[in-house]
Amino acid sequence: MKDIYILAIESSCDETSASIIKNGNEEISTVVLSQMDTHANYGGVVPEIASRMHVENITLVLEETLNKANITMNEITAIAVTYGPGLIGSLLIGVEAAKTLAYIYHKPLIPVHHIIGHIYANNLKKELQFPLIALVISGGHTELVYMENHYKFKKIGSTLDDAVGEAYDKVARVLNLPYPGGPLVDALAHKGEDTYNLPLPLDDDSYNFSFSGIKSAVINLKHNEEQKGNTINKENLACSFQNRIIKVITKKTMKALNEYNVNKLIIAGGVAANKGIRNEFEQLCDINNIDLIIPAINRCTDNAAMIGAAGYYAYQLNQFAKYDLNAKSNIENL
Amino acid sequence: MIEFFLDTSTKYVTISILKDGKQIYFFHDKIFEDLSVKILPLIDNALNECSIKIDDVGVIYVVVGPGSFTGIRIGLTIVKTWAWTLKKNVIPISSLELIASTNIETDYIVPFIDARRGNCFIGVYDNQLNTVKKDQFANFEEFINNIDNSKTYTLVTYDNLENYKYITPKIDVIKLIKKHKNDKPINPHSLNPNYLKLTEAEENFNKKNDKKN
Repeated sequence: MKDIYILAIESSCDETSASIIKNGNEEISTVVLSQMDTHANYGGVVPEIASRMHVENITLVLEETLNKANITMNEITAIAVTYGPGLIGSLLIGVEAAKTLAYIYHKPLIPVHHIIGHIYANNLKKELQFPLIALVISGGHTELVYMENHYKFKKIGSTLDDAVGEAYDKVARVLNLPYPGGPLVDALAHKGEDTYNLPLPLDDDSYNFSFSGIKSAVINLKHNEEQKGNTINKENLACSFQNRIIKVITKKTMKALNEYNVNKLIIAGGVAANKGIRNEFEQLCDINNIDLIIPAINRCTDNAAMIGAAGYYAYQLNQFAKYDLNAKSNIENL
Repeated sequence: MIEFFLDTSTKYVTISILKDGKQIYFFHDKIFEDLSVKILPLIDNALNECSIKIDDVGVIYVVVGPGSFTGIRIGLTIVKTWAWTLKKNVIPISSLELIASTNIETDYIVPFIDARRGNCFIGVYDNQLNTVKKDQFANFEEFINNIDNSKTYTLVTYDNLENYKYITPKIDVIKLIKKHKNDKPINPHSLNPNYLKLTEAEENFNKKNDKKN
């Protein structure tokens, strides 16, 4: 069979990235240009600044990706691009660049859903086997997805309010940690003890999540302690918070595996880099004989390699777009 | 020699193709929404109508702003990608100068793009498209009051200007290209929008830092 080379582009938030993926699982070259240091000045991603930086860097990132792979555009089979969800101004840069390349070189254009990309980051580590449950946890998403085959997604649960990564970032702000605070909360949690009495987020029979309650509880707790003149033990608060999050996420995920009679779990998204969450799932899956895949840390955060992996399977299904492809900030279904 | 011109910086999209200095294609129309959906099919259509392959284009002139931030980025991303991958020469053009290519009788031409809250992108050009006052982001009234009053001038804009006499642009792409044909082409990697304005976040950040200092 002829080898399939996908050139993938991802620009949905604050990373400009391109990648060349062979046959859906072999990373030939990937470039990720992160704007994190810039946005850190503002305490979060500023959409207009992100868009400006994407347009400045897009061709540099593409050139470096091709050079590193020592591949010319003519050898590329198809072009995949994140078309949403994400920041509209950011998405547009990747989408316009991808459409232009597809147009100039007469290559198929593959639109890829950002979250499907995160799921397929796991395919770069180990080829996906089905059926499986995918847990998507990031700054914008918290979803449990059942997959019976490639590109067959059934969302079985999602967050009713904040995404889990959002809750981490907000708690980080309460603890006066710099942006992006999620990883710092994780680091602090490992140094502390579970001493604070926080509620367990939405501990019901559904597969849905809710994190706004625990976020408010952390804010109130800090406020009350300060009024009493007590200082907050940051390590302990981070640990107490993280333990609740881990407990509810693992509980619902393990329940889904059990009820859908599935023994394969993949974890995806930026929060999959969280050590506390990784460790707990590794232990639980070990005990319960679940085959677990979690992407390498640098493939948990946004990158084009995952878009290229997903794009390969979309290519097999002829999921092509025309040159009128638009970026979408919200997309309901996977 | 094929020259290609693209402007996506205002509500009017312009595509023009010149062959050996003669305009063989001209598109100039209001695109209300979904510029991203329409722009590449429009470019494709322009090339097809002229039976030109995209690789036949020798030089690309592209409007880099000021104007709609998103509009500029859409056009520039296409041109950057195109010029980079096919190694084409690209020459950046000002949106205000394009508006100022309108043929008028007065000494000066004052092109105007509304930027809300009394602000605008504005400049002053003479009839040969020489810059008299450079393109800038300014308060409209202040800028107008500071124009040399020994000279006559005409305001030119696609926008509505209450209480002022103005005319709607009748752009002259050939005149503009003639003026810029000997400009030094720029590396596509460094082809960037000319916003003429920092983002609000940057302005606030700078203000805060100024106070600290």
